[in-house]
Amino acid sequence: MSSPSPAIQIENLSYAYGRAEAVHDLTLTVQPGRCYGLFGRNGAGKTTTMKCLLHLLRPQRGQVRMFGLDPARHEVEVKRRLAYVPDQVAFYPWMSVRETLDYLASFRAHWNRKTEQELLDRFQLDPAQRTGSLSRGQRTQVALIAAVCPETELLVLDEPTSGLDPIVRREFIETVIGAYQEGNPGQRTILVSTHLITEFEGLIDQFTIIDHGVAVLSLDSDQARERYQKIRARFAQSPPELDLRAALRVRRNGRELELIANGGGAELLERLRQHNPEMLSTESLTLEEIFVATLKS
Amino acid sequence: MILQINFKSGMPIYLQVVDQIKVAAASGALRPGEVLPSIRPLAEELRVNRNTIAKAYSELESLGVIETLPGRGCFLKENHTALRKEVRRKLLTVEIDQAIVQAHHLQVRRDEFLALIHERMDALDRKRRTHEHHQEDDQS
Repeated sequence: MSSPSPAIQIENLSYAYGRAEAVHDLTLTVQPGRCYGLFGRNGAGKTTTMKCLLHLLRPQRGQVRMFGLDPARHEVEVKRRLAYVPDQVAFYPWMSVRETLDYLASFRAHWNRKTEQELLDRFQLDPAQRTGSLSRGQRTQVALIAAVCPETELLVLDEPTSGLDPIVRREFIETVIGAYQEGNPGQRTILVSTHLITEFEGLIDQFTIIDHGVAVLSLDSDQARERYQKIRARFAQSPPELDLRAALRVRRNGRELELIANGGGAELLERLRQHNPEMLSTESLTLEEIFVATLKS
Repeated sequence: MILQINFKSGMPIYLQVVDQIKVAAASGALRPGEVLPSIRPLAEELRVNRNTIAKAYSELESLGVIETLPGRGCFLKENHTALRKEVRRKLLTVEIDQAIVQAHHLQVRRDEFLALIHERMDALDRKRRTHEHHQEDDQS
């Protein structure tokens, strides 16, 4: 079914636990086929937002739409079209991996057995092993298999790789790119919340940084890396007095200057160049550096 | 041909892939008729979005650098010589511009800079000739 509606649409969402507001007036849209990152520190409101999308929590203000539908009124339809990997994976511990996957498959109209076998092999999981005796990484791998095999149009990942070792994290991301995205190229949408940004850098094509429940920055990843630049300059004598208000951050160390620019990098470079620096260099910030720069300023 | 993405270059990822494949084609790392890695394994290996690689490949196809043969994969086109020279020059321009900017910072004047280029070209020529002599000696 091809529908022009966004995969996810959040408008002015607010949610509070008692008097503690977890999400405040959040608005974002995820178009079909995009990989969208929701970045925030622990407790920033990422999981609360995700729970509102999945109808595990009911928005107190604003609204969410999944594929153009209200998840409260069309819960079954919405859940049929998405898969979810939570931050803490829990299965019935007495069930084997095989039984767990069969059990989860029984809720799905469609299940790709070939992909399931490929991923079991790739992760070297023993189908006969009880899930209660799996490591944390292995439990996440089983949850990922269960999320990929139904071949849904939306994959929601909540802090999927925190607490996992680097090898498991790499495999996780390769699986999302390979097994999940390959299925219906251009139509598979991903929403991932994480504070481990570096490893998702190449996958994410759009993101929102939230802090204390508020969206502080929403950008396309390529645009973000073009806009945020680190400029370094070294002068023969102590740096001249310059108007550097356009810079997000300025660090001085003896004859050296380091600036973080949020747009306007070219003008800052030109201004520095006029004072004949001995050395002048510039590089883009990675998404993680942008995250840090945004939350520290 | 091994590709490498640099998130600090400020260049869109798909363009980095496009440029690197052009470089590979121009330098001979990728030869006409040779098959390119298919989209999925390349995306997995670089750990970038599958759609980014797909976008890069369709860009390369519209530029006439590669062609897709259904069921067989993507290949470097046999006749891309016209592009080759233009691409080579463009690639060199980037490097030269960087050197010029650096020269400016280091207060090396225009004539000094040009003289230095000649000097380096001569030096590298000499080095290559000596190297070739050694190879001939080895063979004889």
